[in-house]
Amino acid sequence: MIEQAVADARERLVWRARREGLATLGYDVLDSPLGPLWVAVGPAGVAALHYGDEPTASDLARLVRAHGPGLVPDPRRASGLARELEEYFAGKRRAFAVAADLSGLTPFQRRILGATARVPYGELTTYATVARRAGNERASRAAGGALGANPIAIVVPCHRVVASDGSLGGYAGGLPAKRRLLALERAGEVPQGGWQPSRMRG
Amino acid sequence: MSTGALTFGELIERHEREIFVYALRLVGSRDGADDLYQETFLAAFRAWPPPRRGAERAWLYKIATNKAIDRARRDRRLVPLAELRLAAPERDGVTLADLAASIRTLPPGQRAAFVLHKVEGRPYREVAAALGCSEEAARSRVAEAMKKVKEATR
Repeated sequence: MIEQAVADARERLVWRARREGLATLGYDVLDSPLGPLWVAVGPAGVAALHYGDEPTASDLARLVRAHGPGLVPDPRRASGLARELEEYFAGKRRAFAVAADLSGLTPFQRRILGATARVPYGELTTYATVARRAGNERASRAAGGALGANPIAIVVPCHRVVASDGSLGGYAGGLPAKRRLLALERAGEVPQGGWQPSRMRG
Repeated sequence: MSTGALTFGELIERHEREIFVYALRLVGSRDGADDLYQETFLAAFRAWPPPRRGAERAWLYKIATNKAIDRARRDRRLVPLAELRLAAPERDGVTLADLAASIRTLPPGQRAAFVLHKVEGRPYREVAAALGCSEEAARSRVAEAMKKVKEATR
């Protein structure tokens, strides 16, 4: 009885805080085939999508720097993204309509993630290629770092970026998650290590 | 959402339940508690940041208490008997109806002090923090409230 009363009160509170402009981002924890996903959505699109049920401390600090402290639990605000993710995981969506809000990131991170966002569904590219497109060919290691800290997983498809030697490289959500996303997008064809870089459309 | 930057959501998730229960005990109805809960958190968001890291809970109690006192002064609302039994445990052979009836006669500051100390079991230090007064003053408010409650339930 108390739980329901508190849940109702919270829903009204969040609505009022948003109407007053106090709530800048709405977050929620979504279920997915890859486990829980913590998402935050604001007026400029999705500001964060992390594996697990909470963001990293450093990314939370970035969100607060960029959006202020007004992050509130708001499943309604995240519902559009939730629907798109559901369609994506069902194989029925190849591109996200919701925008990626990269505020609070360094110019380098924005360039790397911007270049990554242009890699089409089901295709692969390398860290070196992403670095080149971001304007610094020799920064592939730094590109790997920026992608490893990608705060908007899946929507900014860093899972489509692999190592030049044909191996999968790394992934914040773990390599099984990366494999699963690539299997979903590529009808099961996933590089294991013997994958030929020449087949890339970098 | 536990380390580093503090957000509104973290404040809500950590403290909303106890603030709601406290509001329910102070105002005695679900609708009133809902309003008080919202006024409390909205006031906290507007006044952001909290005065001291780690003292957010005491800060929320203080805001809730002030809001409840304002409300009580504004509309002189009485605690409905039927609702208070959700909150107040039976003590010292005093029936809940007796207790509720006597609490509603207390002035708002004493009522808050009584609920915080006698119903919620908070130490005087926290009562003082919530009421924005000295521990000494908190003790005397609770004592004064106790006297009135005892007289009323005798």
